[in-house]
Amino acid sequence: MAQKLSEYVTLVSSDGFEFKVLRSAACIAGTIKKALDPSYGFREGSENRMKFENINGVILEKVCEYLYYNQKYAEARDVPDPEIPPELCLELLIAADYLDV
Amino acid sequence: MSGRRSRNSAGIRGPHSALTDFLAANNISAQEIRDSYRQRLQRAEQDAAAVSEENGEGPATQAQGGDDEGQREDVQAESSAMAVERTRKRKRDQEDAIAKIKKGKESKKKAAKSKKKKRGSDDEGDSDFDFEDMYKKAKKLPGQLENCELCEKRFTVTSYSKAGPDGGLLCTSCGKEMTKEAKATAKAAKPVIRKARRKIESNRLDGITTRGPKTLQQLCIEKLAKHADDIEELGEMPDAIMNRLSEIFSKKRAINPTTVKLFLQPDMDTVVIHEAASLETEDFDQVFAVVPNITKLALRNCCQFKDTNVEYMIEKAKKLKDIQLLGANLVSNDKWVDLFIARGHDLRSLKLEWLDAAFDDQAVEALTTFCPNLERLKLERCKQLGVDSIDAIARLEKLEHLTLRFCKDVPRDRLVNLVSQIGTNLQTLCLENFIDSAIEDIEGEYQTESDDLLLDTIHNTCRHLTKLRFTENHECSDQGYVNLFTEWENPPLRYIDFNATRDVDNSNPDGPEDFPIGLASVGFKALMAHSGSRLEYLDVASCRHITHETFANIFDGVKQYPHLQEINMSFCPVVDTQIVAAIFRSCPKIKKVVTFGCFEVADVVVPRGIVLIGAPKAQDAIEQFGDVVMDFQKELMREMEKDRAMMARVVVPVMA
Repeated sequence: MAQKLSEYVTLVSSDGFEFKVLRSAACIAGTIKKALDPSYGFREGSENRMKFENINGVILEKVCEYLYYNQKYAEARDVPDPEIPPELCLELLIAADYLDV
Repeated sequence: MSGRRSRNSAGIRGPHSALTDFLAANNISAQEIRDSYRQRLQRAEQDAAAVSEENGEGPATQAQGGDDEGQREDVQAESSAMAVERTRKRKRDQEDAIAKIKKGKESKKKAAKSKKKKRGSDDEGDSDFDFEDMYKKAKKLPGQLENCELCEKRFTVTSYSKAGPDGGLLCTSCGKEMTKEAKATAKAAKPVIRKARRKIESNRLDGITTRGPKTLQQLCIEKLAKHADDIEELGEMPDAIMNRLSEIFSKKRAINPTTVKLFLQPDMDTVVIHEAASLETEDFDQVFAVVPNITKLALRNCCQFKDTNVEYMIEKAKKLKDIQLLGANLVSNDKWVDLFIARGHDLRSLKLEWLDAAFDDQAVEALTTFCPNLERLKLERCKQLGVDSIDAIARLEKLEHLTLRFCKDVPRDRLVNLVSQIGTNLQTLCLENFIDSAIEDIEGEYQTESDDLLLDTIHNTCRHLTKLRFTENHECSDQGYVNLFTEWENPPLRYIDFNATRDVDNSNPDGPEDFPIGLASVGFKALMAHSGSRLEYLDVASCRHITHETFANIFDGVKQYPHLQEINMSFCPVVDTQIVAAIFRSCPKIKKVVTFGCFEVADVVVPRGIVLIGAPKAQDAIEQFGDVVMDFQKELMREMEKDRAMMARVVVPVMA
């Protein structure tokens, strides 16, 4: 790990919304973690920016919310469940499957 | 305490001090002193009220006071013993009246609390309580007038008047308000806690660790299941998620004729419905109509799966290879045979469970004749099956996985024949509840060799086993298990379940000492020596004859069992804290340790990531989740970090 890692990374939705997220939070998602790991040498890793062609802004926002929620409660027990709007559920599920969270 | 209580039953409630006894013996009553003091107070108050208020109420209270006066004189006239009795009675009446006024739940609770305190503390607590009361303003009796504590309005006290927050009385409207509020707060506070607790316990027994948040997928799936009825279509979902959803819907019994359509899509090849009890006959036809390319069908509790469905399945589903049906009791024998004739050649896997009305030995005969390519067979709790089925199955030479649980007795020599015929190719062998009854014409009490014949046969024929389950047997001896595992050419096993192999004799629970029955000390040692290096799952529940020394020897904290993830040692009475702790150290990958009925297990510190279920002396919960990161775990983590770093270094040049 010779390069210095930036503190924040950028996640871009299919419709162009950008979310600046703490690297530590973003890396909770397995897919993002692998893509941004500089040792794998992907362009995402060097640019600290990841674009999702199949996830729109509304869903990606929810995902980011979840990532922070996950980070906040990482060590806690009996965590309260976050609110998920039922209408987003299916899309969110597919995104979650893709992102491996 | 009880003795004291019975002595007091005549008068005073609550405990009684030695001092009171002494005073009573000398004709001095604490009660009397107290009463007279109270009366004096009351009178002073009433007098003050009479002076300040010039309405018609004054004389009434005065009269009451006069009454008291008269009574008092009477009392003095009588003998002192009688006086004591009298005042006690009056006191009791008064107390009752006050209690009635206090009626509101809160005051009751308070009383209960103070009662508890009284019981817990010294005997003088009784008088303490009364003294406190004494310095307060006396409560008005029903029928008297009082100012409401909250709104200051004047109202007539009734026995239903509620007590206010500071101990005074409330008028009717304020009292109603109070109870409403109290109810609302009680409601708000209660269910939240209960629901959460219930959920947590349920999750624990499901093996879902409560540490940290759930994954987003898990959250979404739960939410979806909650809104099962509102979903119109699932769309394209990965198989794993589809399966998970189906599982959760099944668990909630949410699969019905409407929701089942979500799981049927034309391009699928697998239909798995774990709980099909609410589905009708037509719905099963739907499955084959919508999904004609189906290769794997699994329906559990499919009570309405009938002959017509089998016909339709034969007609539509031409690619079916894998069938699993649980409880399909409306399918007749002939239809089973028809199915085997029509689809038998392609069939690779068949699992049938809980059939009691049909499916007899003839059906199994047909199965073995028409399904020569069967690789996986599971027949559990099919009540009609007997010896002939065993002989028929012995002809299925391509079998790789075999699970049997019969309801009828099967003589040992037929089982031995089965294993020797098809044992060579088997990877999975599960024989549950085969009591292994000896053939009747064998004479003699202990025929050692023949008792263990089945285990010997497994030893001699099986070469590819990875999973072995042989349970609830009380005939095979420890020596049999030793012979099985010693110098067995089969590679180490991945999955071993020998639960409830032990001697069954109420009068002699330890079994014959010089000749242990079931998996005992020596057999267990041989087992671990053979398979310990690869073993992932071990079940030795109820193997009562394994000694503490053996357990301690096998799990000594130094010997390592690198793949062991789950171990069940329930009802092995010798298992204690030391052994459980040693398992944590001996098995780096261990996830779950089950110790129901191991009463020696207490106060174990469970490392992080491990679940200990069933420790009866763990007071707080049946299940304990590890919170502590132990030294050896830290070491392990450090090593893993190192490995990862190494990996990364190796990977970089390749990818760059």
